[in-house]
Amino acid sequence: MATKEELFEKLKQGVIDFEEEPVIEASQQVLDEGYVPLEAIMDGLAAGMQVVGELYEKNEYFVPEVLMCADALYKGLAILRPHVPKDGGGVNAQVVIGSIQGDVHDIGKNLVKMMFDVAGWDVHDLGRDVPLENFVEEQLRTDSEVVAMSAMMTTTMLGMKKVIKMIKEKNPDVAIMLGGAPVTKDVANLFGADGYAESAGNAVVEGIKMIGRLRDMQAK
Amino acid sequence: MAELSPIERVTRFFNREPVDKMPFFTGMGMVLAPAIKKLGYNFPSIHRESAEKLAWAGIESARMFNLDAIVIPFDMCWESEALGNKISLYEESEDILYPTIPTKNWTELDQVEITQAQIDTIMDTFPMTLIPDAIKICKKEAPELPVGAWQLGPFTQCGQTIELDKVLKGVFKQKEKVNEILDSFSDLIIEIGKSLQAAGADFITLREPGVAADLLSPKTFKEVIAPRLTRILGGWKSPKVLHICGSTDPLTEMMWKCVTDSGGQAISFDIKNNIPESRKKLGNDALIVGNYDVFALPCAEETTVEMAIEGMKANIDLGVDAVWPGCDLWPDIKEENFRAMEKTAREYKVGPTAAVGRI
Repeated sequence: MATKEELFEKLKQGVIDFEEEPVIEASQQVLDEGYVPLEAIMDGLAAGMQVVGELYEKNEYFVPEVLMCADALYKGLAILRPHVPKDGGGVNAQVVIGSIQGDVHDIGKNLVKMMFDVAGWDVHDLGRDVPLENFVEEQLRTDSEVVAMSAMMTTTMLGMKKVIKMIKEKNPDVAIMLGGAPVTKDVANLFGADGYAESAGNAVVEGIKMIGRLRDMQAK
Repeated sequence: MAELSPIERVTRFFNREPVDKMPFFTGMGMVLAPAIKKLGYNFPSIHRESAEKLAWAGIESARMFNLDAIVIPFDMCWESEALGNKISLYEESEDILYPTIPTKNWTELDQVEITQAQIDTIMDTFPMTLIPDAIKICKKEAPELPVGAWQLGPFTQCGQTIELDKVLKGVFKQKEKVNEILDSFSDLIIEIGKSLQAAGADFITLREPGVAADLLSPKTFKEVIAPRLTRILGGWKSPKVLHICGSTDPLTEMMWKCVTDSGGQAISFDIKNNIPESRKKLGNDALIVGNYDVFALPCAEETTVEMAIEGMKANIDLGVDAVWPGCDLWPDIKEENFRAMEKTAREYKVGPTAAVGRI
């Protein structure tokens, strides 16, 4: 019988090495041996992703590696997440996420989504090429605390400004995150957003930092 | 000497011969809303309706704002559409939205196949047929203006026909297949570029925005991307420019090597590049363009004319050899800002730049 620490280490290393099979095996073992799935997510999968973020920041990993690590993480999450009770200590929060109309790129969006998935948020993924009003309608329908939008092209990012205005008019408390290659801090400020990530990789780093903070909160 | 015409100015610029004043142009997407409004066109109609609309949207955009070149075409979906994907023109939208490929026919790398027959006939396939016709119209109707054509690089073009994340992961997981696909796209891009030049394009820009160092490692760039960019540029006539968006500081020397090894002329960066550092690395012989912010300066509601002028001066002070944007110009410019930017570009510094002298 593997110890909890051994299994969590296997999950962590599997994510770092983008090896899906060991992650699948270890996730199943976590359940079979009665360990707490949320702990396995946070101290195994998310811990691995934190290292991936560090490797990205050190320019040892780039987006392809991060995407493969994310694939491995999702393999584990698919097994573990259904066994986390709704009131099992995860974060009770919701986010609406999507790529803005006119933009069919979704790598950054999907990496940020991963961060919310890991953290146990209810994620309302609108996909890509999302008409502007759909962000507003979905936020109102779900009463989500956060709306995250991405645009990979300068030619589409202007739509985000309109969405922010529409959402803030109806619900000024919603936090808006922007991301994407053309989005700079100045643009995010000009548009009235609450946070931004300038690229898929940057989104990963920011997201992983957020996961780290959540892990710290969990540990308290 | 009398003032040079735009075509004389741009031709001399690429030859690194002295020009009369700072060139103000681009080799990337450039269609401006005030121009198409004057023509009575709506945005979705300029892309595929006819070669005439495509040409006049480009001509009027250049003439109205005194740019030194027309650029044809405007969106990035032409080749993917010709290979069988359907595009969305957003005809119902009130906003300016460029065409996209909402769903790609190929979902896995193993499905991707570009045959020699497709390469040989792509310029006879709609919508590609419109581009050479539009270039010919521009040459006839606006002989004073050079025409810039452009092509996406093989990696980015691949991402227009299959989801980019598959290609990114494929670099590791399906190396051979990715290499094969990139070679096929390179062949296709060379043929298209040759056809655009044969139709009259005066210069051509190879744009590979999907390979910046915030996406791919410099090692992957060196091994997988650079040889193909060099081959493509080498397959075209001069003048030719290489542009990469995003983080390019770690790639600067490798990019310039692609340009010089292929007999190219200039290198173009977006706003994330440290131009003074690039100048130091490449020296005063390199024609360096790009870097000005296509949203903040000409478009942002909050940007005053004075701020746009200061931004333009800052771009010139970085040491560029021509004023050329960091990306596609966003169509919805503020006219007063863009006119002030053009005027500033021409008047701010009258002396030579690092690589180009003055008459």
